Amino acid sequence: MVHTGSTRTFMWFCMGPVLLLLIIVAVAPVTLALIDSFRDLSLAMPSKRGQFVALDNYRDLLGSDGNFYRSLAHTVIFMMIAVPIELALGLLIALWINREFTGRRLVLTILMIPTMIAPVVVGMIWRFFLMPSFGVLTVYMNRLGLFEETSVFSGAITAFGALIIIDIWEWTPFIMLIMLAGLSALPQAPIEAATIDGASRWQIFRHIQLPMLFPLIVVAVMLRGIDASKVFDTIYVLTGGGPGNATEVISTFAYRTNFIRWDLGYGAAVCLVLAFASLVVAALFFKTVSGKPKPVEETS
Amino acid sequence: MTTGRSLFARQLVTFVVPLLVLLGVALIPYIWILLASFKTRGELISPDPKWVFNPTSINYTDIIYKGFDGYLLNSVIIGFSSTALCVFVGTLAAYGFSRFKIPAGNHLFFYILATRLGPPVAYALPMYLIFRDLGLVNTYAGVILAHTTFNLVLVVWMMRSFFDDVPREIEEAAYLDGCGHFRVFLQITLPMTYPGLAAVSIFVLIFSWNELLFALILTGGDTRPLTVMIPSLVLHTGTQWGQVASASIIQSIPVLIFIFFIQKKLVQGLTFGAVKG
Repeated sequence: MVHTGSTRTFMWFCMGPVLLLLIIVAVAPVTLALIDSFRDLSLAMPSKRGQFVALDNYRDLLGSDGNFYRSLAHTVIFMMIAVPIELALGLLIALWINREFTGRRLVLTILMIPTMIAPVVVGMIWRFFLMPSFGVLTVYMNRLGLFEETSVFSGAITAFGALIIIDIWEWTPFIMLIMLAGLSALPQAPIEAATIDGASRWQIFRHIQLPMLFPLIVVAVMLRGIDASKVFDTIYVLTGGGPGNATEVISTFAYRTNFIRWDLGYGAAVCLVLAFASLVVAALFFKTVSGKPKPVEETS
Repeated sequence: MTTGRSLFARQLVTFVVPLLVLLGVALIPYIWILLASFKTRGELISPDPKWVFNPTSINYTDIIYKGFDGYLLNSVIIGFSSTALCVFVGTLAAYGFSRFKIPAGNHLFFYILATRLGPPVAYALPMYLIFRDLGLVNTYAGVILAHTTFNLVLVVWMMRSFFDDVPREIEEAAYLDGCGHFRVFLQITLPMTYPGLAAVSIFVLIFSWNELLFALILTGGDTRPLTVMIPSLVLHTGTQWGQVASASIIQSIPVLIFIFFIQKKLVQGLTFGAVKG
């Protein structure tokens, strides 16, 4: 290009702001948290005033904290149930809706509402829907003889199940949208050829569409899995982790440790363990997405 | 025309009816809260749910007494400021990544991605610690910086792909005419990405507008946005569901309007550019 001196200046002009921002909001905070994670520091307990305890926080957390492992297990179960159902439903709906019809754009926009409105509003809508005695869903379920004595969020299993169903309601449209983008980008020739040869819809799906969609399914499942592991807003609004700690996930566990119990030293250790785990996941995602050519090319 | 009519009947059963069911499942919970926002307190907690009733606007006037306009203004301030900052920083970085070989660029790119993929709460505490030392907790600046960081990956990834789509020949012609980097970027390349830039900005705005966790931790008193206000209406002494409903409706209306406009870019935005629509 032009002379290198001005190119270098311009490059710094491009990258300078982002470097500065990352130092202020990522590098410095994480360093500070790392230091605090080696200390006994609590804003709620006067005896913990920042004494240096080396790796005690990490040893307690990873070695003997039942609540941490329980919330981790809840998170994994939540992901393992919600994401496959969302994938199956989303794919099914995408296959079925993948055709031209009047008002298609409006229909797709309406179907995206659960995904796009604020998760805290989603939580509130369902909390209102499921309120004991006057929540509209509770009323109709009562008429069918369900939940007459107890409420949905008072039982461990039903509360957890309700959160999963709400997650499915909220996020299935997201999978549908990705699958629809993939389906409409598939070359039509092999499908037409198979139709002429007398292949059934199932055969076309199983042997043509599914293999071609596979890279996209991987991306969708990873993104959704990552997001499901971070679920916070709806649980914060709907159960707060209860009853007891039946719906405590890692996000609510970390939130409670830091911002309810104000156990900052221990909480910093929790956060750094989670951040480290997420780096590993991010590396996997990065490899999947940028490792091979883009799964779908521009169409519309 | 019997075949025509039977075809229509088949369409009705296999497509139109299931489509209406699907739309109902997606929309009825939202419609129910919309209806609730126009109901009186008695109707709201009645065990006999009414789909048709006499609407009242009392809930909308009630939330104004609770300082709703202040929270709304905070949401607007936080949303627009963090969008402006995020788009400025992210677009420059995206152009850098697209056009130059940045030293250790892949590591930087990866780090930007990692800030978004980890659980926000894992980054919220470190941010809280440093913002407390800097006196930025309970200010607009703290939460604006947090939202900017959180949405950076979206801007960088999407804008990078838009810049990659601009043919190099156009820039090279401008360089030959004697334009410098700044002029080529500002007057030639950037304007060609305006439609994409607009979509990206809307995404960032929606994500900031809808964000709860950072807002919960980093704002307080006079700087709280709507997403923090809405759950605070749930009280042990009894929740004013009419107010929750009307606040939720006003919070979500801008989002509904925006998603209609960015519908074509929705896939790309929701997957950080990993999938194109």
